[in-house]
Amino acid sequence: MSETLAQLGKYAEEAGTKVTSLRKNESSVEVSQDHLKAFLARLVNDLHVRHLMTITGLDLGQSLGIVYNFSKERDTIHVRTSVPKTKPETLSITDIVPGAILYEMELHDMFGIEFAGNPWKDQKLLLPEEWPADLPPPLLKTTKPDQIRRRLGLEAAKP
Amino acid sequence: MSTPPDQQRREESAGLMEYSTESLVPFGPIHPALKEPEYFKLVLEGERIVNVIPRIGYVHRGLEKAAESRPWVQNMYMFERTCGICSFVHSLCYGQAVEELTLYQVPRRAKYIRTIIAEMERIHSHLLWVGLMGHWAGFDTLFMWVWNDREVVLDLVEAISGNRVHKSMNAFCGVRRDMPENMADRIVERMKFLTDRARYYRDIIDSEETMLERTENIGRVSAETVEKLCAVGPMARYVGIKRDVRLNDPYAAYDEVPLDVITTTEGDVHALLRLRLDELVASANMVAYAVKNLPDGPIRVKVPPIIPAGEHSSHCEAPRGEIFYYVKSSGGRTPDRVKSRQPTMANLPTALEMLKGQTLADIPIVLTAIDPCFGCMDRMSFYDTETNRSWTWSGEQLRQYGINYYFPERSKKQRGLTRAADSLTNQCVREGL
Repeated sequence: MSETLAQLGKYAEEAGTKVTSLRKNESSVEVSQDHLKAFLARLVNDLHVRHLMTITGLDLGQSLGIVYNFSKERDTIHVRTSVPKTKPETLSITDIVPGAILYEMELHDMFGIEFAGNPWKDQKLLLPEEWPADLPPPLLKTTKPDQIRRRLGLEAAKP
Repeated sequence: MSTPPDQQRREESAGLMEYSTESLVPFGPIHPALKEPEYFKLVLEGERIVNVIPRIGYVHRGLEKAAESRPWVQNMYMFERTCGICSFVHSLCYGQAVEELTLYQVPRRAKYIRTIIAEMERIHSHLLWVGLMGHWAGFDTLFMWVWNDREVVLDLVEAISGNRVHKSMNAFCGVRRDMPENMADRIVERMKFLTDRARYYRDIIDSEETMLERTENIGRVSAETVEKLCAVGPMARYVGIKRDVRLNDPYAAYDEVPLDVITTTEGDVHALLRLRLDELVASANMVAYAVKNLPDGPIRVKVPPIIPAGEHSSHCEAPRGEIFYYVKSSGGRTPDRVKSRQPTMANLPTALEMLKGQTLADIPIVLTAIDPCFGCMDRMSFYDTETNRSWTWSGEQLRQYGINYYFPERSKKQRGLTRAADSLTNQCVREGL
Protein backbone atom coordinates (compact mmCIF):
# COMPACT_ATOMS: atom_id res chain seq x y z
CA MET A 1 0.00 0.00 0.00
CA SER A 2 1.38 3.38 -0.94
CA GLU A 3 1.90 6.13 1.59
CA THR A 4 -0.92 8.20 0.08
CA LEU A 5 -3.41 5.39 0.59
CA ALA A 6 -2.25 4.75 4.17
CA GLN A 7 -2.73 8.42 4.99
CA LEU A 8 -6.07 8.45 3.19
CA GLY A 9 -7.27 5.64 5.47
CA LYS A 10 -6.52 7.80 8.52
CA TYR A 11 -8.41 10.79 7.12
CA ALA A 12 -11.35 8.58 6.25
CA GLU A 13 -11.47 7.24 9.78
CA GLU A 14 -11.57 10.76 11.16
CA ALA A 15 -14.47 11.57 8.82
CA GLY A 16 -16.29 8.49 10.12
CA THR A 17 -15.92 6.29 7.03
CA LYS A 18 -13.48 3.85 5.46
CA VAL A 19 -11.61 3.20 2.23
CA THR A 20 -12.63 0.30 -0.02
CA SER A 21 -10.17 -1.09 -2.53
CA LEU A 22 -11.61 -1.73 -6.01
CA ARG A 23 -8.42 -3.18 -7.46
CA LYS A 24 -4.72 -2.60 -7.13
CA ASN A 25 -4.15 1.18 -7.13
CA GLU A 26 -7.87 2.01 -7.29
CA SER A 27 -9.76 2.88 -4.11
CA SER A 28 -13.08 4.37 -3.26
CA VAL A 29 -14.19 6.27 -0.17
CA GLU A 30 -17.73 7.30 0.72
CA VAL A 31 -17.98 10.66 2.50
CA SER A 32 -21.13 12.31 3.80
CA GLN A 33 -22.12 15.79 2.61
CA ASP A 34 -21.16 17.32 5.99
CA HIS A 35 -17.59 16.10 5.83
CA LEU A 36 -17.07 16.44 2.08
CA LYS A 37 -15.42 19.86 1.79
CA ALA A 38 -13.11 19.35 4.77
CA PHE A 39 -12.14 15.90 3.53
CA LEU A 40 -11.38 17.11 0.00
CA ALA A 41 -9.40 20.08 1.32
CA ARG A 42 -7.17 17.72 3.30
CA LEU A 43 -6.84 15.36 0.36
CA VAL A 44 -5.76 18.14 -2.00
CA ASN A 45 -3.70 20.37 0.31
CA ASP A 46 -2.11 17.87 2.71
CA LEU A 47 -1.82 14.73 0.58
CA HIS A 48 -1.20 16.69 -2.66
CA VAL A 49 -3.71 14.59 -4.59
CA ARG A 50 -4.26 17.55 -6.88
CA HIS A 51 -5.31 16.06 -10.18
CA LEU A 52 -9.09 15.85 -10.47
CA MET A 53 -9.74 13.66 -13.51
CA THR A 54 -13.45 14.37 -13.62
CA ILE A 55 -16.65 14.34 -11.59
CA THR A 56 -19.03 11.48 -12.37
CA GLY A 57 -22.75 11.68 -11.68
CA LEU A 58 -24.77 8.56 -10.86
CA ASP A 59 -28.49 7.96 -10.64
CA LEU A 60 -28.90 5.74 -7.56
CA GLY A 61 -32.70 5.60 -7.52
CA GLN A 62 -33.65 7.66 -4.47
CA SER A 63 -30.52 9.77 -4.51
CA LEU A 64 -27.91 11.12 -6.89
CA GLY A 65 -24.32 9.99 -6.50
CA ILE A 66 -21.43 12.36 -7.10
CA VAL A 67 -18.03 10.75 -7.55
CA TYR A 68 -14.93 12.92 -7.53
CA ASN A 69 -12.29 10.97 -9.49
CA PHE A 70 -8.80 11.94 -8.33
CA SER A 71 -5.48 10.53 -9.36
CA LYS A 72 -1.95 10.84 -8.06
CA GLU A 73 0.80 8.91 -9.81
CA ARG A 74 -0.29 5.25 -9.61
CA ASP A 75 -3.28 5.78 -7.35
CA THR A 76 -6.82 6.45 -8.47
CA ILE A 77 -9.08 7.66 -5.67
CA HIS A 78 -12.85 7.97 -6.00
CA VAL A 79 -14.44 10.18 -3.36
CA ARG A 80 -18.16 9.47 -3.37
CA THR A 81 -21.00 11.40 -1.88
CA SER A 82 -24.73 11.51 -2.50
CA VAL A 83 -27.52 14.07 -2.44
CA PRO A 84 -31.27 13.36 -2.25
CA LYS A 85 -33.17 13.65 -5.55
CA THR A 86 -35.74 15.90 -3.90
CA LYS A 87 -33.08 18.47 -3.00
CA PRO A 88 -30.10 18.04 -5.38
CA GLU A 89 -27.79 20.64 -3.89
CA THR A 90 -24.17 20.56 -2.84
CA LEU A 91 -21.28 22.95 -2.39
CA SER A 92 -18.93 23.75 -5.25
CA ILE A 93 -15.33 22.62 -4.81
CA THR A 94 -13.90 25.23 -7.20
CA ASP A 95 -12.25 26.98 -4.25
CA ILE A 96 -10.23 23.81 -3.54
CA VAL A 97 -9.80 22.54 -7.13
CA PRO A 98 -10.31 25.39 -9.66
CA GLY A 99 -10.24 22.84 -12.48
CA ALA A 100 -13.58 21.44 -11.32
CA ILE A 101 -15.54 24.33 -12.80
CA LEU A 102 -16.56 22.75 -16.12
CA TYR A 103 -17.24 19.32 -14.59
CA GLU A 104 -19.67 20.89 -12.15
CA MET A 105 -21.40 22.72 -14.98
CA GLU A 106 -21.67 19.42 -16.86
CA LEU A 107 -23.28 17.70 -13.86
CA HIS A 108 -25.66 20.61 -13.46
CA ASP A 109 -26.76 20.17 -17.08
CA MET A 110 -26.98 16.40 -17.07
CA PHE A 111 -28.28 15.63 -13.53
CA GLY A 112 -29.72 18.95 -12.36
CA ILE A 113 -27.41 19.15 -9.35
CA GLU A 114 -26.90 22.69 -8.04
CA PHE A 115 -23.33 23.57 -7.05
CA ALA A 116 -23.51 26.54 -4.69
CA GLY A 117 -20.45 28.73 -5.17
CA ASN A 118 -19.60 27.81 -8.75
CA PRO A 119 -19.00 31.14 -10.53
CA TRP A 120 -20.70 29.97 -13.77
CA LYS A 121 -23.48 27.92 -12.17
CA ASP A 122 -26.30 29.75 -13.92
CA GLN A 123 -24.96 29.10 -17.41
CA LYS A 124 -25.45 26.05 -19.56
CA LEU A 125 -22.40 24.23 -20.87
CA LEU A 126 -23.60 21.24 -22.88
CA LEU A 127 -27.38 21.59 -23.19
CA PRO A 128 -28.84 24.12 -25.62
CA GLU A 129 -29.91 27.52 -24.30
CA GLU A 130 -33.49 26.81 -25.30
CA TRP A 131 -33.67 23.50 -23.38
CA PRO A 132 -37.22 23.48 -21.94
CA ALA A 133 -37.37 24.01 -18.18
CA ASP A 134 -40.08 21.36 -17.77
CA LEU A 135 -37.89 18.57 -19.21
CA PRO A 136 -36.07 16.56 -16.52
CA PRO A 137 -32.25 16.39 -16.69
CA PRO A 138 -31.36 13.97 -19.51
CA LEU A 139 -29.10 11.51 -17.70
CA LEU A 140 -31.63 10.54 -15.00
CA LYS A 141 -32.80 6.94 -15.45
CA THR A 142 -36.43 8.11 -15.50
CA THR A 143 -35.81 10.37 -18.50
CA LYS A 144 -36.41 8.45 -21.71
CA PRO A 145 -34.94 9.54 -25.05
CA ASP A 146 -38.44 9.36 -26.60
CA GLN A 147 -39.73 11.84 -24.07
CA ILE A 148 -36.99 14.34 -24.97
CA ARG A 149 -37.54 13.84 -28.69
CA ARG A 150 -41.30 14.42 -28.36
CA ARG A 151 -40.93 17.51 -26.19
CA LEU A 152 -38.37 19.07 -28.53
CA GLY A 153 -40.62 18.38 -31.52
CA LEU A 154 -38.14 16.02 -33.17
CA GLU A 155 -40.58 13.14 -33.46
CA ALA A 156 -41.71 14.22 -36.92
CA ALA A 157 -38.16 13.85 -38.23
CA LYS A 158 -38.27 10.13 -37.52
CA PRO A 159 -39.32 7.91 -40.45
CA MET B 1 -35.41 30.34 -29.47
CA SER B 2 -37.32 33.18 -27.85
CA THR B 3 -34.92 36.11 -28.42
CA PRO B 4 -33.33 36.58 -31.83
CA PRO B 5 -29.55 36.22 -31.58
CA ASP B 6 -28.86 39.79 -32.69
CA GLN B 7 -31.12 41.27 -30.08
CA GLN B 8 -29.70 38.97 -27.44
CA ARG B 9 -26.19 40.05 -28.36
CA ARG B 10 -27.14 43.71 -28.11
CA GLU B 11 -28.65 43.14 -24.69
CA GLU B 12 -25.56 41.32 -23.48
CA SER B 13 -23.29 44.08 -24.73
CA ALA B 14 -25.55 46.80 -23.34
CA GLY B 15 -25.08 45.32 -19.88
CA LEU B 16 -21.33 45.66 -20.21
CA MET B 17 -21.40 49.18 -21.57
CA GLU B 18 -22.77 50.60 -18.34
CA TYR B 19 -19.60 50.15 -16.40
CA SER B 20 -16.67 49.58 -18.75
CA THR B 21 -15.12 50.17 -22.12
CA GLU B 22 -14.90 46.45 -22.74
CA SER B 23 -16.30 44.90 -25.89
CA LEU B 24 -17.97 41.54 -26.02
CA VAL B 25 -17.10 39.31 -28.94
CA PRO B 26 -19.23 36.23 -29.45
CA PHE B 27 -16.98 33.73 -31.14
CA GLY B 28 -18.37 30.50 -32.34
CA PRO B 29 -20.09 28.12 -34.68
CA ILE B 30 -22.69 28.77 -37.32
CA HIS B 31 -23.77 25.17 -37.66
CA PRO B 32 -23.02 21.90 -35.83
CA ALA B 33 -22.32 20.21 -39.17
CA LEU B 34 -19.13 22.23 -39.50
CA LYS B 35 -15.95 20.85 -38.02
CA GLU B 36 -15.49 21.30 -34.27
CA PRO B 37 -18.08 23.90 -33.33
CA GLU B 38 -17.48 25.63 -30.02
CA TYR B 39 -18.56 29.03 -28.88
CA PHE B 40 -16.63 31.55 -26.85
CA LYS B 41 -17.77 34.88 -25.53
CA LEU B 42 -14.65 37.02 -25.64
CA VAL B 43 -14.49 40.21 -23.62
CA LEU B 44 -11.98 42.59 -25.17
CA GLU B 45 -10.33 45.76 -24.04
CA GLY B 46 -9.09 47.23 -27.29
CA GLU B 47 -7.02 44.44 -28.82
CA ARG B 48 -6.46 42.50 -25.59
CA ILE B 49 -8.64 39.66 -24.37
CA VAL B 50 -9.60 40.15 -20.74
CA ASN B 51 -12.09 37.34 -20.18
CA VAL B 52 -13.40 34.28 -21.99
CA ILE B 53 -16.58 32.31 -21.30
CA PRO B 54 -16.99 28.97 -23.09
CA ARG B 55 -20.11 27.29 -24.42
CA ILE B 56 -19.66 23.79 -25.80
CA GLY B 57 -22.00 20.93 -26.58
CA TYR B 58 -22.99 21.75 -30.16
CA VAL B 59 -22.05 18.24 -31.19
CA HIS B 60 -23.01 16.55 -27.92
CA ARG B 61 -24.71 13.35 -29.07
CA GLY B 62 -25.61 11.89 -25.70
CA LEU B 63 -23.33 8.85 -25.98
CA GLU B 64 -23.41 8.25 -22.22
CA LYS B 65 -27.20 7.97 -22.31
CA ALA B 66 -27.10 5.84 -25.45
CA ALA B 67 -24.60 3.45 -23.82
CA GLU B 68 -27.13 2.54 -21.15
CA SER B 69 -29.41 0.89 -23.68
CA ARG B 70 -26.79 -0.92 -25.78
CA PRO B 71 -24.96 -4.21 -25.21
CA TRP B 72 -21.45 -4.06 -23.74
CA VAL B 73 -19.71 -5.00 -26.99
CA GLN B 74 -21.66 -2.56 -29.13
CA ASN B 75 -20.67 0.27 -26.80
CA MET B 76 -17.01 -0.39 -27.45
CA TYR B 77 -17.42 0.49 -31.12
CA MET B 78 -19.77 3.35 -30.37
CA PHE B 79 -17.27 4.99 -28.02
CA GLU B 80 -14.59 4.50 -30.66
CA ARG B 81 -16.62 6.94 -32.76
CA THR B 82 -16.30 9.69 -30.14
CA CYS B 83 -13.40 11.16 -32.06
CA GLY B 84 -12.21 10.85 -35.63
CA ILE B 85 -8.55 11.30 -34.75
CA CYS B 86 -7.87 9.50 -31.48
CA SER B 87 -10.47 6.79 -31.96
CA PHE B 88 -8.56 3.66 -30.92
CA VAL B 89 -7.66 4.90 -27.46
CA HIS B 90 -11.33 5.43 -26.56
CA SER B 91 -12.24 1.82 -27.21
CA LEU B 92 -9.06 0.78 -25.40
CA CYS B 93 -9.91 2.79 -22.30
CA TYR B 94 -13.55 1.66 -22.18
CA GLY B 95 -12.40 -1.91 -22.84
CA GLN B 96 -9.88 -1.79 -19.99
CA ALA B 97 -12.51 -0.57 -17.53
CA VAL B 98 -14.79 -3.47 -18.54
CA GLU B 99 -11.94 -5.99 -18.52
CA GLU B 100 -11.34 -5.10 -14.86
CA LEU B 101 -14.89 -6.27 -14.14
CA THR B 102 -14.32 -9.66 -15.77
CA LEU B 103 -11.79 -12.16 -14.47
CA TYR B 104 -10.01 -12.64 -17.79
CA GLN B 105 -6.47 -11.55 -18.59
CA VAL B 106 -5.41 -9.85 -21.79
CA PRO B 107 -2.83 -11.94 -23.74
CA ARG B 108 0.62 -10.39 -23.93
CA ARG B 109 0.67 -10.28 -27.73
CA ALA B 110 -2.61 -8.33 -27.73
CA LYS B 111 -1.11 -5.83 -25.28
CA TYR B 112 1.78 -5.23 -27.68
CA ILE B 113 -0.51 -4.81 -30.67
CA ARG B 114 -2.59 -2.31 -28.68
CA THR B 115 0.56 -0.36 -27.87
CA ILE B 116 1.65 -0.31 -31.52
CA ILE B 117 -1.71 0.99 -32.74
CA ALA B 118 -2.01 3.54 -29.91
CA GLU B 119 1.44 4.95 -30.66
CA MET B 120 0.78 5.08 -34.40
CA GLU B 121 -2.37 7.00 -33.59
CA ARG B 122 -0.32 9.46 -31.53
CA ILE B 123 2.10 9.94 -34.45
CA HIS B 124 -0.75 10.64 -36.87
CA SER B 125 -2.52 12.97 -34.46
CA HIS B 126 0.62 14.97 -33.70
CA LEU B 127 1.46 15.29 -37.40
CA LEU B 128 -2.06 16.50 -38.09
CA TRP B 129 -1.69 19.09 -35.35
CA VAL B 130 1.71 20.37 -36.54
CA GLY B 131 0.20 20.82 -39.99
CA LEU B 132 -2.74 22.77 -38.61
CA MET B 133 -0.43 25.01 -36.60
CA GLY B 134 1.42 25.78 -39.83
CA HIS B 135 -1.86 26.57 -41.56
CA TRP B 136 -3.14 28.94 -38.88
CA ALA B 137 0.24 30.66 -38.61
CA GLY B 138 0.22 31.38 -42.35
CA PHE B 139 2.81 28.74 -43.31
CA ASP B 140 0.83 26.48 -45.62
CA THR B 141 3.92 24.78 -47.05
CA LEU B 142 4.51 23.16 -43.67
CA PHE B 143 0.88 22.08 -43.58
CA MET B 144 1.16 20.31 -46.94
CA TRP B 145 4.47 18.60 -46.22
CA VAL B 146 3.40 17.38 -42.81
CA TRP B 147 0.06 16.05 -43.99
CA ASN B 148 1.82 14.26 -46.81
CA ASP B 149 4.05 12.49 -44.27
CA ARG B 150 0.98 11.67 -42.22
CA GLU B 151 -0.13 9.41 -45.05
CA VAL B 152 2.85 7.17 -44.29
CA VAL B 153 1.55 6.27 -40.85
CA LEU B 154 -2.07 6.09 -42.01
CA ASP B 155 -1.04 3.56 -44.66
CA LEU B 156 0.60 1.42 -41.99
CA VAL B 157 -2.50 1.59 -39.80
CA GLU B 158 -4.60 0.59 -42.79
CA ALA B 159 -2.31 -2.34 -43.57
CA ILE B 160 -2.66 -3.62 -40.00
CA SER B 161 -6.31 -2.93 -39.22
CA GLY B 162 -7.97 -2.48 -42.60
CA ASN B 163 -9.08 1.06 -41.75
CA ARG B 164 -7.46 4.46 -41.68
CA VAL B 165 -9.51 6.20 -39.01
CA HIS B 166 -11.86 3.95 -37.04
CA LYS B 167 -9.66 0.92 -36.63
CA SER B 168 -12.17 -1.23 -34.68
CA MET B 169 -9.17 -3.27 -33.53
CA ASN B 170 -10.16 -3.76 -29.92
CA ALA B 171 -12.23 -6.51 -28.41
CA PHE B 172 -12.73 -7.29 -24.73
CA CYS B 173 -9.53 -8.98 -23.52
CA GLY B 174 -7.71 -8.84 -26.82
CA VAL B 175 -7.62 -7.47 -30.33
CA ARG B 176 -9.63 -8.54 -33.35
CA ARG B 177 -6.83 -8.74 -35.92
CA ASP B 178 -3.33 -10.08 -35.71
CA MET B 179 -0.35 -8.20 -37.13
CA PRO B 180 0.23 -9.15 -40.77
CA GLU B 181 3.26 -11.33 -41.32
CA ASN B 182 6.51 -9.88 -42.66
CA MET B 183 5.53 -6.33 -41.85
CA ALA B 184 8.10 -5.68 -39.13
CA ASP B 185 10.88 -4.52 -41.45
CA ARG B 186 8.60 -2.18 -43.35
CA ILE B 187 7.27 -0.62 -40.13
CA VAL B 188 10.76 -0.12 -38.70
CA GLU B 189 11.95 1.47 -41.95
CA ARG B 190 8.92 3.81 -42.11
CA MET B 191 9.39 4.80 -38.47
CA LYS B 192 13.00 5.70 -39.24
CA PHE B 193 11.73 7.88 -42.11
CA LEU B 194 9.22 9.63 -39.82
CA THR B 195 11.90 10.21 -37.17
CA ASP B 196 14.09 11.93 -39.76
CA ARG B 197 11.18 14.04 -40.94
CA ALA B 198 10.26 15.06 -37.38
CA ARG B 199 13.87 16.15 -36.74
CA TYR B 200 13.77 18.17 -39.96
CA TYR B 201 10.51 19.88 -38.95
CA ARG B 202 12.06 20.69 -35.60
CA ASP B 203 14.85 22.51 -37.36
CA ILE B 204 12.29 24.37 -39.43
CA ILE B 205 10.17 25.57 -36.52
CA ASP B 206 13.32 26.64 -34.67
CA SER B 207 14.67 28.65 -37.60
CA GLU B 208 11.72 29.75 -39.74
CA GLU B 209 10.78 33.33 -39.01
CA THR B 210 7.05 32.80 -39.63
CA MET B 211 6.75 30.16 -36.94
CA LEU B 212 9.02 31.90 -34.44
CA GLU B 213 7.19 35.19 -34.75
CA ARG B 214 3.78 33.65 -34.30
CA THR B 215 4.55 31.17 -31.52
CA GLU B 216 7.32 32.44 -29.27
CA ASN B 217 6.14 34.00 -26.01
CA ILE B 218 2.51 33.38 -26.97
CA GLY B 219 0.12 31.66 -24.58
CA ARG B 220 2.23 31.65 -21.44
CA VAL B 221 0.79 30.19 -18.25
CA SER B 222 2.52 29.24 -15.03
CA ALA B 223 3.00 25.65 -13.94
CA GLU B 224 1.06 26.45 -10.77
CA THR B 225 -2.01 27.52 -12.77
CA VAL B 226 -1.83 24.46 -14.99
CA GLU B 227 -1.58 22.19 -11.95
CA LYS B 228 -4.58 23.86 -10.31
CA LEU B 229 -6.69 23.67 -13.46
CA CYS B 230 -5.97 19.93 -13.81
CA ALA B 231 -4.68 20.08 -17.39
CA VAL B 232 -3.58 16.83 -19.01
CA GLY B 233 -1.18 15.54 -21.64
CA PRO B 234 1.09 17.89 -23.59
CA MET B 235 -0.66 20.84 -21.96
CA ALA B 236 0.73 19.77 -18.59
CA ARG B 237 4.10 18.59 -19.90
CA TYR B 238 4.93 21.86 -21.69
CA VAL B 239 5.26 23.67 -18.36
CA GLY B 240 7.34 20.89 -16.83
CA ILE B 241 4.71 18.78 -15.04
CA LYS B 242 5.56 15.12 -15.66
CA ARG B 243 1.98 13.91 -16.03
CA ASP B 244 1.63 10.97 -18.38
CA VAL B 245 -0.61 7.97 -17.74
CA ARG B 246 1.79 5.71 -19.65
CA LEU B 247 4.40 6.49 -17.01
CA ASN B 248 2.22 6.94 -13.92
CA ASP B 249 -0.16 4.03 -14.33
CA PRO B 250 1.14 1.84 -17.19
CA TYR B 251 -1.46 -0.01 -19.23
CA ALA B 252 -1.17 -2.24 -22.33
CA ALA B 253 2.55 -2.98 -22.81
CA TYR B 254 3.88 0.36 -21.57
CA ASP B 255 5.53 -1.30 -18.58
CA GLU B 256 7.74 -3.32 -20.96
CA VAL B 257 8.35 -0.93 -23.87
CA PRO B 258 11.00 1.72 -23.09
CA LEU B 259 9.14 4.97 -22.58
CA ASP B 260 10.53 8.45 -23.00
CA VAL B 261 8.33 11.13 -21.42
CA ILE B 262 9.22 14.55 -22.80
CA THR B 263 8.77 17.72 -20.77
CA THR B 264 9.82 21.30 -21.42
CA THR B 265 9.81 24.28 -19.14
CA GLU B 266 9.58 27.16 -21.59
CA GLY B 267 5.79 27.20 -21.45
CA ASP B 268 4.80 28.93 -24.68
CA VAL B 269 3.23 27.76 -27.92
CA HIS B 270 6.64 27.27 -29.50
CA ALA B 271 7.55 24.86 -26.69
CA LEU B 272 4.34 22.93 -27.42
CA LEU B 273 5.42 22.55 -31.06
CA ARG B 274 8.83 21.22 -30.09
CA LEU B 275 7.34 18.98 -27.40
CA ARG B 276 4.90 17.33 -29.79
CA LEU B 277 7.59 16.77 -32.42
CA ASP B 278 9.87 15.21 -29.80
CA GLU B 279 7.01 13.02 -28.60
CA LEU B 280 6.53 11.90 -32.17
CA VAL B 281 10.14 10.69 -32.30
CA ALA B 282 9.67 8.91 -28.96
CA SER B 283 6.50 7.22 -30.25
CA ALA B 284 8.23 6.12 -33.46
CA ASN B 285 10.98 4.51 -31.36
CA MET B 286 8.39 2.74 -29.24
CA VAL B 287 6.59 1.37 -32.28
CA ALA B 288 9.87 0.10 -33.72
CA TYR B 289 10.76 -1.59 -30.40
CA ALA B 290 7.33 -3.16 -29.99
CA VAL B 291 7.32 -4.50 -33.54
CA LYS B 292 10.78 -6.03 -33.15
CA ASN B 293 9.95 -7.59 -29.78
CA LEU B 294 6.39 -8.69 -30.52
CA PRO B 295 5.73 -11.83 -28.40
CA ASP B 296 4.04 -14.93 -29.82
CA GLY B 297 0.77 -16.32 -28.55
CA PRO B 298 -2.98 -15.85 -28.77
CA ILE B 299 -4.40 -12.39 -29.47
CA ARG B 300 -7.73 -12.67 -27.73
CA VAL B 301 -9.75 -14.39 -25.02
CA LYS B 302 -13.49 -14.90 -25.47
CA VAL B 303 -15.55 -13.00 -22.92
CA PRO B 304 -19.23 -13.81 -22.22
CA PRO B 305 -21.74 -11.08 -23.10
CA ILE B 306 -22.86 -10.60 -19.48
CA ILE B 307 -20.40 -8.62 -17.39
CA PRO B 308 -20.39 -9.19 -13.60
CA ALA B 309 -21.69 -6.45 -11.32
CA GLY B 310 -19.24 -3.87 -10.04
CA GLU B 311 -17.62 -0.61 -10.95
CA HIS B 312 -14.23 0.35 -12.29
CA SER B 313 -12.49 3.21 -13.95
CA SER B 314 -9.67 3.33 -16.43
CA HIS B 315 -7.51 6.09 -17.83
CA CYS B 316 -5.27 6.14 -20.88
CA GLU B 317 -2.94 8.62 -22.50
CA ALA B 318 -4.58 9.77 -25.74
CA PRO B 319 -2.56 12.02 -28.09
CA ARG B 320 -4.21 15.08 -26.51
CA GLY B 321 -3.86 13.91 -22.93
CA GLU B 322 -5.51 11.66 -20.42
CA ILE B 323 -8.92 10.20 -21.21
CA PHE B 324 -11.01 8.70 -18.46
CA TYR B 325 -13.78 6.10 -18.47
CA TYR B 326 -15.88 5.06 -15.50
CA VAL B 327 -18.04 1.96 -15.91
CA LYS B 328 -20.73 0.65 -13.56
CA SER B 329 -22.38 -2.71 -14.12
CA SER B 330 -25.36 -4.24 -12.36
CA GLY B 331 -24.67 -7.63 -13.89
CA GLY B 332 -26.79 -7.29 -16.99
CA ARG B 333 -26.36 -7.23 -20.73
CA THR B 334 -26.06 -3.43 -20.78
CA PRO B 335 -24.01 -1.10 -18.57
CA ASP B 336 -25.66 0.75 -15.73
CA ARG B 337 -23.60 3.86 -16.34
CA VAL B 338 -20.63 4.81 -18.49
CA LYS B 339 -18.88 8.11 -17.97
CA SER B 340 -16.33 9.34 -20.46
CA ARG B 341 -14.17 12.41 -20.14
CA GLN B 342 -12.11 13.66 -23.05
CA PRO B 343 -8.84 15.61 -22.78
CA THR B 344 -10.22 18.79 -24.35
CA MET B 345 -12.71 19.11 -21.50
CA ALA B 346 -9.84 18.96 -19.02
CA ASN B 347 -7.68 21.37 -21.03
CA LEU B 348 -10.35 23.97 -21.74
CA PRO B 349 -9.92 25.94 -18.45
CA THR B 350 -6.18 26.18 -19.19
CA ALA B 351 -6.86 27.33 -22.76
CA LEU B 352 -9.09 30.11 -21.43
CA GLU B 353 -6.27 31.13 -19.11
CA MET B 354 -3.82 31.12 -22.07
CA LEU B 355 -6.11 33.39 -24.09
CA LYS B 356 -6.28 36.08 -21.41
CA GLY B 357 -3.86 38.88 -22.21
CA GLN B 358 -3.38 37.82 -25.83
CA THR B 359 -4.40 39.92 -28.80
CA LEU B 360 -7.22 39.16 -31.21
CA ALA B 361 -4.64 38.10 -33.80
CA ASP B 362 -3.37 35.30 -31.56
CA ILE B 363 -6.73 33.56 -31.09
CA PRO B 364 -6.30 31.00 -33.90
CA ILE B 365 -2.81 30.06 -32.77
CA VAL B 366 -3.62 29.75 -29.08
CA LEU B 367 -6.83 27.81 -29.61
CA THR B 368 -5.14 25.44 -32.05
CA ALA B 369 -2.21 25.06 -29.67
CA ILE B 370 -4.20 23.04 -27.14
CA ASP B 371 -5.05 20.64 -29.99
CA PRO B 372 -8.64 20.99 -28.96
CA CYS B 373 -10.37 18.78 -31.48
CA PHE B 374 -11.16 22.25 -32.71
CA GLY B 375 -9.68 23.48 -35.94
CA CYS B 376 -12.57 25.59 -36.88
CA MET B 377 -13.12 29.24 -36.34
CA ASP B 378 -15.76 29.50 -38.92
CA ARG B 379 -17.35 32.77 -38.18
CA MET B 380 -16.91 35.51 -35.64
CA SER B 381 -19.30 38.30 -34.84
CA PHE B 382 -17.84 41.50 -33.46
CA TYR B 383 -19.65 44.10 -31.49
CA ASP B 384 -17.97 47.31 -30.47
CA THR B 385 -19.78 48.84 -27.53
CA GLU B 386 -18.24 52.28 -28.01
CA THR B 387 -19.45 52.86 -31.53
CA ASN B 388 -22.35 50.40 -31.51
CA ARG B 389 -20.88 48.93 -34.68
CA SER B 390 -21.08 45.22 -35.33
CA TRP B 391 -19.47 43.16 -38.05
CA THR B 392 -18.76 39.55 -38.86
CA TRP B 393 -15.63 37.76 -39.95
CA SER B 394 -15.23 34.29 -41.32
CA GLY B 395 -12.52 32.01 -39.92
CA GLU B 396 -10.43 32.61 -43.03
CA GLN B 397 -10.66 36.36 -42.51
CA LEU B 398 -9.61 35.94 -38.90
CA ARG B 399 -6.62 33.87 -40.01
CA GLN B 400 -5.74 36.56 -42.54
CA TYR B 401 -6.10 39.23 -39.85
CA GLY B 402 -3.58 37.36 -37.75
CA ILE B 403 -1.14 37.02 -40.65
CA ASN B 404 -1.50 40.71 -41.64
CA TYR B 405 -1.00 41.73 -38.04
CA TYR B 406 2.36 39.99 -37.89
CA PHE B 407 3.55 40.17 -41.51
CA PRO B 408 1.93 43.20 -43.17
CA GLU B 409 4.14 43.13 -46.27
CA ARG B 410 3.25 39.54 -47.17
CA SER B 411 -0.47 40.00 -47.16
CA LYS B 412 -0.90 41.55 -50.62
CA LYS B 413 0.02 38.36 -52.44
CA GLN B 414 -2.54 36.32 -50.58
CA ARG B 415 -5.51 38.60 -51.03
CA GLY B 416 -6.66 36.84 -54.18
CA LEU B 417 -6.81 33.52 -52.36
CA THR B 418 -8.67 35.02 -49.43
CA ARG B 419 -11.29 36.50 -51.70
CA ALA B 420 -11.96 33.11 -53.23
CA ALA B 421 -12.32 31.51 -49.80
CA ASP B 422 -14.60 34.31 -48.62
CA SER B 423 -16.97 34.02 -51.53
CA LEU B 424 -17.21 30.28 -50.84
CA THR B 425 -18.00 30.90 -47.16
CA ASN B 426 -20.58 33.55 -48.02
CA GLN B 427 -22.19 31.23 -50.51
CA CYS B 428 -22.49 28.54 -47.81
CA VAL B 429 -24.08 31.03 -45.43
CA ARG B 430 -26.51 32.25 -48.10
CA GLU B 431 -27.61 28.75 -48.87
CA GLY B 432 -28.11 28.09 -45.17
CA LEU B 433 -25.54 25.31 -44.97
